[in-house]
Amino acid sequence: MRFRVSENESVKKAFQDAYSTKERGETGEEWQSQVMRRVRQIGPLSPAASFWPAFESMVWRLAPVSCALVLVLTFFFMNLELDVDSDYLGTVAAEMEKPSLVELFDLEG
Amino acid sequence: MRDDAARSSDAEIVRQVLDGNVNAFESVILRHRGLVLSIVKKHVPEAAIEETAQEAFVRAYQSLPTFKGTGDFSQWLSSIAVRTGYDYWRKAYRSREIPISALTDKHSQWLEEVISQRPEEALDEREHQMEAREILNWALGKLSAGDRIVLEQVYLEGLSVQETAELLGWSKANVKVRSFRARMKLEKLLRRVKDQGRRGR
Repeated sequence: MRFRVSENESVKKAFQDAYSTKERGETGEEWQSQVMRRVRQIGPLSPAASFWPAFESMVWRLAPVSCALVLVLTFFFMNLELDVDSDYLGTVAAEMEKPSLVELFDLEG
Repeated sequence: MRDDAARSSDAEIVRQVLDGNVNAFESVILRHRGLVLSIVKKHVPEAAIEETAQEAFVRAYQSLPTFKGTGDFSQWLSSIAVRTGYDYWRKAYRSREIPISALTDKHSQWLEEVISQRPEEALDEREHQMEAREILNWALGKLSAGDRIVLEQVYLEGLSVQETAELLGWSKANVKVRSFRARMKLEKLLRRVKDQGRRGR
């Protein structure tokens, strides 16, 4: 089995230690005031506001399915042999064969 | 007992905020500032910690109506903080604002030394952390935002696939695949650092 640098215990431990003590992160009063300022700008949360996050998450969940569906449909239609002219003519001919209401009830004067 | 008390008062504060008392959210910030900062500081560069933590709280506020009072509020907030960190990198990658510092022979030597060490041998942490951090930042900067976040959670934080999937809102299969791929990329990058030292000698 090939030796893996990233799986070496000492390397992994060194990275984990460096990562866990990565940066200092302290904030002051001003930072908290800024957050609250932004929150107050948004204002009180209305029940309607809860609709959008839920809607957004649903849209993202459905996105891969929609993409797959578009691909499948594109493939399907590209392989579908549609003869537009003959289909159109067929429809017109069938329509012509149907008796009109005028003929059917002999309404023609 | 204490956890129950904390949870119930978190739920109480959330209820107050949802009832229109915007100022009650200040208590949420006071109680959970440490938690959010400890998460955010691991994921983003020092210069972006304050802004990202601020963004995490604003998102949490906006998402409060989706919080189900029965769950653990800290966990819910942690998930928002992790995802905000992830979004920071997605934006940074999109605008290509990733500072990637170059590595030198010093880093390859360090890596060789650490590899040759036995696990039970204690590392002189202070001395080694700088090199480890620089190599890590360099390698993480070469990964995509998705690979980066999953590597941070699974490889560096030591979280399970299940925990990572819950935090990121991804499927377990997605986390497994991403994690494997990201580790392979990290491996390649570390090999490159190691080989660079050999060529330099």
